[in-house]
Amino acid sequence: MTTQQSNDTEQQAEKLRELFADAPEPVRTALENAIPDMQTRGSAPPLESAGRIGKRQGKVSELTMIAPVAPDATKRLRTLLEMLGGNFDGAEKVGTVHDMRFVFLDNDTKLLFATAYDGDWDDYISDFATKIPDLMDIVFSAIQGWPGIRDPSIKDFLVKYQIPADAWYVANPDLTVVETRRLQRVGKALDEFLDKIG
Amino acid sequence: MSLLGRSGGGPRRSAVGVELDDIQATVLRYRPEPYYGTHVMLHVDEAAAGRELLRRLAPYIDSAADWWQAGNAWTAVAISYPGLVSLGVPEDSLESFPETFRQGMAARSDALGDTGPNDPKRWDAPFGTGQIHIQLSIFSDDRAKWHRAMETARQQYQGLSGTAVLTIQDFGAQPGDRNPLGYKDLIGQPAIEGSGVEPLPGQGRPIKAGEFILGYPGEAGVPLLMPQPEVLGRNGTFVGVRKYQSRVGAFNRFLQANGQTEQERELLAAKLVGRWRSGAPLTLAPGQDDPGLGQDPQRNDDFTYAEDTHGRRVPFGAHMRRMNPRDTALAQLADVNLHRIIRRSTTYGVPYDAAALTEHDDESPHGIYFIFLGARAMDTIEFLQREWINNGNFMTLGDERDPVIGLQDEAGIFTIPEEPVRRRIHGLETFNVLRGGEYLFMPSLSALNWLAELSG
Ligand code: HEM
Repeated sequence: MTTQQSNDTEQQAEKLRELFADAPEPVRTALENAIPDMQTRGSAPPLESAGRIGKRQGKVSELTMIAPVAPDATKRLRTLLEMLGGNFDGAEKVGTVHDMRFVFLDNDTKLLFATAYDGDWDDYISDFATKIPDLMDIVFSAIQGWPGIRDPSIKDFLVKYQIPADAWYVANPDLTVVETRRLQRVGKALDEFLDKIG
Repeated sequence: MSLLGRSGGGPRRSAVGVELDDIQATVLRYRPEPYYGTHVMLHVDEAAAGRELLRRLAPYIDSAADWWQAGNAWTAVAISYPGLVSLGVPEDSLESFPETFRQGMAARSDALGDTGPNDPKRWDAPFGTGQIHIQLSIFSDDRAKWHRAMETARQQYQGLSGTAVLTIQDFGAQPGDRNPLGYKDLIGQPAIEGSGVEPLPGQGRPIKAGEFILGYPGEAGVPLLMPQPEVLGRNGTFVGVRKYQSRVGAFNRFLQANGQTEQERELLAAKLVGRWRSGAPLTLAPGQDDPGLGQDPQRNDDFTYAEDTHGRRVPFGAHMRRMNPRDTALAQLADVNLHRIIRRSTTYGVPYDAAALTEHDDESPHGIYFIFLGARAMDTIEFLQREWINNGNFMTLGDERDPVIGLQDEAGIFTIPEEPVRRRIHGLETFNVLRGGEYLFMPSLSALNWLAELSG
């Protein structure tokens, strides 16, 4: 570590101590225990932007949306999601979606939608509008005022409810869904080959 | 002269569903063969002078009526966002243009991946400075007609105080109409619904007019958002210009390094694009070139990739297969009909020379003014740059980039599927370097008059 860097980490440690000064005693002890480790690891590369809104780590981006639910829509969507039981054929086809979660908040008046996906947020919205419009409309019409996926202002509508993450961890930031599938195929083929010669 | 289906006589007509006499000719009219022309970049200092210029030019801007017949040279006009501002377009109207257009291509460099050697900081003046307000383009199939049309245009802008000429770039006049890397180009174009002409064989189903011309339903069934008032937006479209410098020496050195014989080098050149230099597609002529096929508009685009699912004819990473995957099974859901562009590119500078091998040849001025049109041209080029050009994920090619226009780092790779194992070629360089670019709006003829008559 250069002198400059060690000065920086020392400053950061001081800043944390100040911030945690009012925290309960066990928390302050925990912080002191953690500081040496944080200092040796240095700072992580900053999160990039996923285009218009949201954060990106390597090739993976995050999207979190909290939107008001349309009247009576909770029951519809909840039943639909239960029936699907986590089986999202559409997401499978899209080929960029790592995960998706739907959570109803505040007495079922709000919907939280969160996903990790590859690439830029709005690159494929118009493709969804022509390739999987029904699926999109069935699910997202639960949001109050949903204009329909084909509406030309749909991107602006979605942006209104998106909240960029402050922090976010990705284990394999360079592995896209497509690449993961490819590596699985390659791994399987390699095992079969080794089985034959072994 | 007919511009389409030459070997089969005139083009087969079909119903017209758009206002051809209000749309500029260039939107629908193909670049002629042979072709000659000039791009003139102009600056407007005073709104009144800019409007006077448009008023003078308007009678000479051609409409798309009978676009499939090109008897004469034609002139097109397009205006940048700073251009609209300097013409005094009212604020609420300016605000109705898409945000990406208002920012301009240089400011969108992050979204476009225009970094390193392609960074706007390195562009040729006056690109990216906000000075380019109006682009005039003259196209012709004949040298004398080109000169006459150019003279007419010059009489309108020459010495008009309050406006200034920034650059004049002649283009075309290339032997065999080849592009700077020696290929026949502008073969694959989208068919447009309601344009009045039947698709050429292999062109695919006509795409909804609203994807290319503002004011009509697009592929999703509804019109895209359009600049306001309606008279300004309707029948107009957006244009992207990207000026490339072709590093011909680097390209030839790459072919030399990876091909022992002339035949191997030509096959490699064909694999990079998906067509032989003659235009003959590898899908139809996999083993050797067929110049007659390359020349024939009834046959040279008449293919799909249904018989080439492993990419053994046209590699998945080939420029043509990336830019229009047709029926290729993609790893990511995409609607290939949404990312098509009308291309009107023009080659400038010294013609391609297979013997040019030096670094000096990389810098001698020759390249392409890549010109594309579409109702969502800004979205389309940003999509293409991010997803299909500087990325390989959609074809399960990892970090591989487009071999012709990709921005390569030291590790540039091109995969050629072969039996029994694929061949991977390393050491791909950036063969076409970006030296300028602008987003422009190509107004309808009535919008042109509306702009010319603005007051205040
Ligand atoms: C700057 C250097 C470029 C060169 C040398 C080049 C060369 C070529 C060639 C030889 C072809 C095959 C013939 C044809 O169909 O036209 C082609 C096709 C095509 N290129 Fe390029 N190109 C360049 C830039 C671009 C750019 C910047 C884009 C888009 C952003 C692009 C998009 C396309 C498309 C859409 C096709 C037609 C594919 C099809 O319909 O099958 N090209 N190009």
